[in-house]
Amino acid sequence: MKKNVKKLAALSMSAALAAGMLAGCGNKEDAGQGGSGGDTSEYVELKMYLLGDRTPDFDEVYGEINNILKEKLNCTISVDFLSWGEHDTKYSLLFAGEEEFDLVFTASSWGHYEQTVSMGGFYPLTEEFVQTYAPDIWKVVPEMAWSQAKIDGVAYMVPNYQNEFGQDVLAVRGDLMAKYGISKITNWDELIAFYKACAADGMYASQGGPWYQYFQGKGYTTTGGGPKSGELILYHTQDANDLSFTYLLDWDGFTDYCHQMKELADLKCWSSDVLNSSDERQTGLLTGRTAGMIWNLGSCKTYAAQANQEHPEWNVTIVDPVAALPKRVQSYINNGVAINVNSRHPERAMMVLNEFYTNPEINDMTRFGIEGKHWEAVGDDQYKVIDESNFGVDSNCNWGWMNAEIKRTEYIENRTPLDDTYDTIMDVWNNNVKPEHIYDGFNFDSTKVATQMAAVDATITTYYDPLVNGLVTDVDKTLDEFRAALETAGIRDIIAELESQAAAYVASRQ
Amino acid sequence: MKVSEKKRTNELRKRSNGSGGVKGFIKKVYKYRAFLLMLAPAVIYTLIFAYYPMTGIVLAFKRYTYAGGIWGSDWNGFENFKFFFKSGQAGLVTRNTVLYNVAFIVINTVVQIAVAILLTEIHNKHYRKITQSIMFLPYFISWVIVGVMAFNIFSSDYGFLNTLIMALGGEKISFYTTPQAWPFIIVFFNLWKGVGYGSVMYLAAIMGIDTSIYEAAAIDGANVFQRIFKVTIPMIMPTTIILFLLSVGGIFKGNFDMFYNLVGNNGLLYNYTDVIDTLTFRALITNSDFGMSAAIGLFQSVLCFITVVCVNKLVGLYDRDATLF
Repeated sequence: MKKNVKKLAALSMSAALAAGMLAGCGNKEDAGQGGSGGDTSEYVELKMYLLGDRTPDFDEVYGEINNILKEKLNCTISVDFLSWGEHDTKYSLLFAGEEEFDLVFTASSWGHYEQTVSMGGFYPLTEEFVQTYAPDIWKVVPEMAWSQAKIDGVAYMVPNYQNEFGQDVLAVRGDLMAKYGISKITNWDELIAFYKACAADGMYASQGGPWYQYFQGKGYTTTGGGPKSGELILYHTQDANDLSFTYLLDWDGFTDYCHQMKELADLKCWSSDVLNSSDERQTGLLTGRTAGMIWNLGSCKTYAAQANQEHPEWNVTIVDPVAALPKRVQSYINNGVAINVNSRHPERAMMVLNEFYTNPEINDMTRFGIEGKHWEAVGDDQYKVIDESNFGVDSNCNWGWMNAEIKRTEYIENRTPLDDTYDTIMDVWNNNVKPEHIYDGFNFDSTKVATQMAAVDATITTYYDPLVNGLVTDVDKTLDEFRAALETAGIRDIIAELESQAAAYVASRQ
Repeated sequence: MKVSEKKRTNELRKRSNGSGGVKGFIKKVYKYRAFLLMLAPAVIYTLIFAYYPMTGIVLAFKRYTYAGGIWGSDWNGFENFKFFFKSGQAGLVTRNTVLYNVAFIVINTVVQIAVAILLTEIHNKHYRKITQSIMFLPYFISWVIVGVMAFNIFSSDYGFLNTLIMALGGEKISFYTTPQAWPFIIVFFNLWKGVGYGSVMYLAAIMGIDTSIYEAAAIDGANVFQRIFKVTIPMIMPTTIILFLLSVGGIFKGNFDMFYNLVGNNGLLYNYTDVIDTLTFRALITNSDFGMSAAIGLFQSVLCFITVVCVNKLVGLYDRDATLF
C-alpha cells in the first residue's frame, strides 16, 4: 500500500513536470480582431514604447492622460521604456520577438528609423490613412517633414514639427577662460588655443576630440543613413549647389584633423582612457574633471545651469565654436513616432497620436507634467516650472510629438547670465538659418549593400575612434591601414550605391 | 568489427530477446512506464531547447525581414557569410579566438588541477574551506563588474596600479593604449574568475580515488611528490580528458561578456583582443541583421564540431575508453 502511494506520487510528479514544459508551447491566437474605420465603440488598451528611463511621476501623469483618452477615444495607453543603454540592442528585438505593441518612438539613424523600415517593422502611413485618422496632424505637419520621412515614396513615421538646431556648442568654465585670458571661443583656432591652455594648466579640456566642430566649421555635415552614423561620408551642407559627397579618407581635411588631434592628445588635452571610459557626456563637466562639454544647445544649458548651481564660482557659460556659419535646422525626422506593423489597432493608435500631437492639454502634460504640481501656465504660450525633480521638462521622450504651433516657451523669473547667453545664441541662430541643401532630407537606404555595411562596421572601430581622438602612435600609417581596410570591406560599393540613390532622390525632388 | 564492439552488440541482442514486434514494444512501454515518464521531462526539455531551436539554422541562408519571419523570408545562399570575410579581419579574429581559448584551456586546466591537489593536501579543515570559498567567489561576479574593476585598476588617471606606480616614483603606464599588455590581463582575469569553480571537478575526482592506493604508496615509501605525480594525476586523467574535450568544443567561440566588458570599443587594442564574437557584435549592432549573426554562429559551430571530432579521435589513439563518443 505504502509503496503504491510513493509510486503514484512519483508518477504524478513527473507527469506534472512534463506537462509544465509543454504548456509553454501553445499558440496564442485567442483574442479576436478589434474595431476599425475610426470607430471607437470597442474599448482597447494600447501600448507604446519610448526611449529613456521612467521618471518617478511618469505613471501619475499618464494616468491623467488616460482619463482623457478613455473619454475621447475609448482607449488607454500603457508605456514601456527602452533605456538609453539598451535600446540599441533591444529595439530590433521588439519586432523580431513579435512583441505586442502599437506605437513606438523612432528617429532617423539614431532612433533606428531606416533600419526598421528596411526590415519591414513599421506600418505604412499613407496620406489617406493620416487624413482619415489624424486630420489635425495632417493640418500641422509641413509637406517638407513628410517628404523627409518618405522611404521609397511611403512615410512610416509621423515626424515632429519644430526647429531644432543640429549644431553642438561648448559649455565651458568661465572661471578657467578668465584665468587663461581667453575672452571668446568662436572659431577653430580659438577653440584649439583653449584646449592647449587647459592642457598647460593640467586640466582636461573635454572628453575627446572635437571632430564635429572641425567638419562643421568647414561647412560639412553627416549623410543620413550612411556608415558610422553618416560620419564616414560627408557632404557640403553650406553650399546648396555642391552635390558631391566627401569620403573621409579621400579628404585632406581628415588627415589634417587627425594630425592636430594627435598633437592635442599628446599634450593631454583629454584622458588617454576616453575610449574605455563609461562616463556620460556631462560627467566631466559636472565633476570638474574637464573644463568643457560638447553637446547640443539645450543639454549644454541644462548641465551648465546644474554645474553653476553646485559650483557658482565656475561661472559656466556657453560658446559657439563655429559662430561664423549659418545654422542648419535639424531635419524633422530627427524625432518621430511610428506604428508597429503588427499592431492590432493601427487606426486607434493613429487617433491617439493625433491627440498627443495636437491636443494642447495632453501635449503640455507630456512635456511638463501635471499643471499645478509640476508647472503652471503663464499666459497662453509660456510656462513656469514649479517642481521639475520627479518629471522633468521635455525629458520623458515626448519629442516625437513636439508641435511648434502649440509649444510653450519657458518663463524665467530670476534670469542668470547663462539664460541671457542662451537667448542671445538662439536669436543669432534663428536669424541665421542656412538655406536648405537638397541632401538635408536625404536618407541612404543600405539594404542593397548590407554586406559591405556590416564589413565596414566591423572594421571601422579599430581605426576610426583612435584617430578621431588622436590616440594612435603613427597617424599616417594608421590612415593608410584604415584606407586599405575600408577598400577591402567594399566602401566603393557603398559610395557608388549612395551616389546613385542621391541622384535618384535629386531627380525625384525636381 | 572490433572484438569489444561485437561483444557489446551481442549483449544488447541478448537483452532484447524474447519480445519483438509492435506488440512487444507496447508491452515494454507499459512495463517501463514509470521510468519512461521520469525520463520524459529531460527528453522534452532537450527537444524544445536544444533540437527545435536548431532548425533556426536556416536563418543563416536567408535575408531576414520582420514580416517574413524565420520561415517566410527569402533565401539568399551564402550572402550572409560574406561580410565576415570582406571585413579583412576574419583571419585575425579567428586566430585570436583560437589562441585565447588554447591559452585559457591549458593555463586553467593546469592551475585548477594544482589548486585541487593543494587543497586536498591541506589538513586544517577550516583553513581549507575558507580558501576554497574565497577562490570560488569571483565566479559569481558578473563580467560587467569585472570590467569596471579592471578600469579602476588600469585607468591612467585614477587607476589603482598607476597611483601605486606614481607613489613608488615610477612613470605612468597607459594600459588602455598598450595592446601588448592585454593578452596577459585577459588571461589573468579569466583564470581568476574560473579557477575556484573549475577546481571543484578535479577535487571531486581526487576524493573519489581509493585511499588504499595512497596507503600502499606510503608503505612503499613514496614521498609527497611521488604520491601526487604517480598516483593522483594518473588517477584523475580520465576526468581531465573529458573536461578538456568539453572545452575544446568551444574553441572557436569567444567569451563575448569577457572581451566586451574588458576591452569595450577601444579600437587600439583590437589587434590583440578582438575575437569572432566581438567583431560580429560590432558589425551587426547597428543594422541588426539576424541572418548574418546566424551565419557567424553556424560558422563557429561547424569549426567547433570539426575540432571536437578530430580531437576526440586523437584522444582515442591515446586511450580508447577516454573518448566522448
